[in-house]
Amino acid sequence: MNKSMHVITMYILSHLGFMFFVYPDNVISSTEEGHWVPILVGCIVHLLVIWTYMKGLSYFPGKNIIEIYSKAGRIASLLFLGPAALYIVGMIIVMIRAFSEIMTIVFLSNTPLWAIMAVKIGIMIYIASKGGEAIFRIGILIALLFLPVVMIMFFSSFQNVDWRYLFPLLTKDFSFLTRRSFYESFFAFGGGFLFLGFAQPHFSYSSKRVLISVLCVIPFFFLAAYVPLLTFGHATANTLHYPYIVTMDSVHVNWLMFDRLTMFFLLSLDAFLMLFLGLMLWMAICISKRYLPLFKSYHLGAISIIIFCVCLMIPEWEVVEKLFWWIAVLRIYVFLTVPISILLLGLRSKGKGIRKSA
Amino acid sequence: MVPFLQEMKTRLGDNDDFIVQRVFLLDSPVILMGFKSMLDFVQTKSNLLEYIEQSFPEGKTIDEVIKQLSNSGTIGIEEAISAITAGNLLIYDEKTKQRAIVNPVSRLLTRSIESPTTENILHGGISSFNEDIDTNIGMMRKQFNSSHLETKLYSCGSMQKSRLAVLYIKDQIDMKLVKQVVSKIESNLDKELNHTQDVSKMMGFYSKELIPKFNTTELPQEAVNALRKGRIVLFLDRLPFALVLPSLLWDMFIHDNDKNLPPPITVALRMLRLLGVLVTLIMPGLYVALVSVNPEVLRIELALSIAQSREGVPYPAFIEIVLMLIVLEMTLEASVRLPASIGPTVTMVGGIILGQAVVTAQLVSNLLIIILAVTTIANSTVVGVQNSLAIRFFKYVIVVLASIFGVFGIVSAVVFVCAYLAGVNTFGISYLYIPRTEKVGGNHE
Repeated sequence: MNKSMHVITMYILSHLGFMFFVYPDNVISSTEEGHWVPILVGCIVHLLVIWTYMKGLSYFPGKNIIEIYSKAGRIASLLFLGPAALYIVGMIIVMIRAFSEIMTIVFLSNTPLWAIMAVKIGIMIYIASKGGEAIFRIGILIALLFLPVVMIMFFSSFQNVDWRYLFPLLTKDFSFLTRRSFYESFFAFGGGFLFLGFAQPHFSYSSKRVLISVLCVIPFFFLAAYVPLLTFGHATANTLHYPYIVTMDSVHVNWLMFDRLTMFFLLSLDAFLMLFLGLMLWMAICISKRYLPLFKSYHLGAISIIIFCVCLMIPEWEVVEKLFWWIAVLRIYVFLTVPISILLLGLRSKGKGIRKSA
Repeated sequence: MVPFLQEMKTRLGDNDDFIVQRVFLLDSPVILMGFKSMLDFVQTKSNLLEYIEQSFPEGKTIDEVIKQLSNSGTIGIEEAISAITAGNLLIYDEKTKQRAIVNPVSRLLTRSIESPTTENILHGGISSFNEDIDTNIGMMRKQFNSSHLETKLYSCGSMQKSRLAVLYIKDQIDMKLVKQVVSKIESNLDKELNHTQDVSKMMGFYSKELIPKFNTTELPQEAVNALRKGRIVLFLDRLPFALVLPSLLWDMFIHDNDKNLPPPITVALRMLRLLGVLVTLIMPGLYVALVSVNPEVLRIELALSIAQSREGVPYPAFIEIVLMLIVLEMTLEASVRLPASIGPTVTMVGGIILGQAVVTAQLVSNLLIIILAVTTIANSTVVGVQNSLAIRFFKYVIVVLASIFGVFGIVSAVVFVCAYLAGVNTFGISYLYIPRTEKVGGNHE
């Protein structure tokens, strides 16, 4: 049966989970004016990549990318799945570390970092241990509980917007293409798409609906960057570490008994992220189980311990930023090669099929 | 003495309520056997005589009558004993050694159909199941008058026999589910069944699950509604409720009787229950988190007034709330245990003495009492007492995490609870499955 609902929810949640943290900062620092250009470029690339990926996957109904690559041979799997697995694990590490740091900055200043990371990893392991089908279902529950909160907070963040900051609209400056932060901004685009290739045996989905949901998410990319810009102006926003979070902090809602909306916003996003981390971990385990069949039942434990240890070993924020950049490179590789290779493999298998039938 | 009679007497003769009586039927002596505690001997005898007089033509011998009565072949010792222990009457002809099992006039050992004791109905049929499995199945048939309702009966247990019934609607159900259930039952027929735990062991369910795999209901209307949605209903003899398989999360919120109200009200009521569950889960945790870990989230005025109400309370919020929650759980448990005439005492002691005095003595804060009251009330909005138990349990997970990590702990715990619920499944049907059409299981979501 068509389970597009689950896949779409997962897609929306994971992208909403990323886009409000580092993405606005990256976009704002990538250019001085006309920020919509880098955002638009990013969105178009994102759309193209997802389209290619799903087009490629549609040639293999009911198969996930592990099966597709392992059919294509060892070299293909090593070339494409290896970096993907590395990227997934790296991403988990960076995300856990970075978001635990944000937690301590924003509201848990007395709690040690390792304790927060331990909880996050614990929940992540628990989610991952439930397996693919359950993860998508958890997504629905979490969306029902937290998505309304996020949406309310999101719309309340417009409170201090000054629309004059929108100008100048036009720009001839394309120097953002040379800036590192532009490529780092693909964090928000490139993080979530891989799971579409893992959903298949459990959930089949219509790619048209996923594309529609991509289109629905795109305005949020624009607004995530533009709300801080419109509130503070580029000059101020550029100096902030998490511009969107700071914007949120400046919002004051009269009828709410809570003073800090940021916290609820952050926490709801954190729920999305924990879910997404669980999904990523599950994907990593799927890959490692397929290619390292030894110790079948210990993969989850082993990978989690590695992740926890690496997280503990990162001493300070600079290291996180360095890791962030390394992963950005890896991401661009995965972002480009995986969808294209899947499409090519799909076209090849289709060609074979036609030849056979002829 | 005849061997059969001898054997029967040695096997059952130690029971003082076992009766062996020689009577004359159609002028020839026969022996009647049965438990006088289970059947009305005098009535049975006179009915039997009347029946024979009316149903058989003149001149028939007792031999033929018994043959007619026992439509099965020869009855062995084991069969005879189990028939007698089930409350039947055995007729034995000494001369021809013929035996017949007869349905007697039994003593009234089951209560009549009453209104439910654990599920109150505001607006709907109020007859509920009782301990007699045949009555229960009959009520189901009365409620769902159709030839599509299928019933399978099993007799389980080796030492103690108990009957188990499986009901489903032929066209609504996924036959794969029925096959799985039936094969589990048939391969475990020798297991003794006393409780739902035994049934779930029979089905091979993981026993450490917090969420029951059966939704239990006392109401025929609910049970039939479940059947209509393509679920299986099990009845175990002597259990006054139906076991609906698989149990779903939405059983907590959805009551079939809601549909006797206008649709917007139905939706509103269901949302209210959903809210009740959320409040139960989150409120105590939120209190602990806001008081002890993240007070800065609150408006300053509110934070101050909370701090004021906690003035003089000698221990941390976590201890405070856990203490009071446990007292509250005990009150709930006590009010179940106590007879109805003493019940109000608990209410009074709990409500007035604990609630008022504990605050006056500055052992807990005013606000906490409010939170506890809200939690308890909210917890009771759930449909079915058995469904509220898991929620009550999860509440503590959230409180513990909230006391360590504040609001972040609450969110983590809620995600954990979501993950737990999403992971539960019964025969491949997820606990979160929503029966959209009138069919469940076909698509094993």
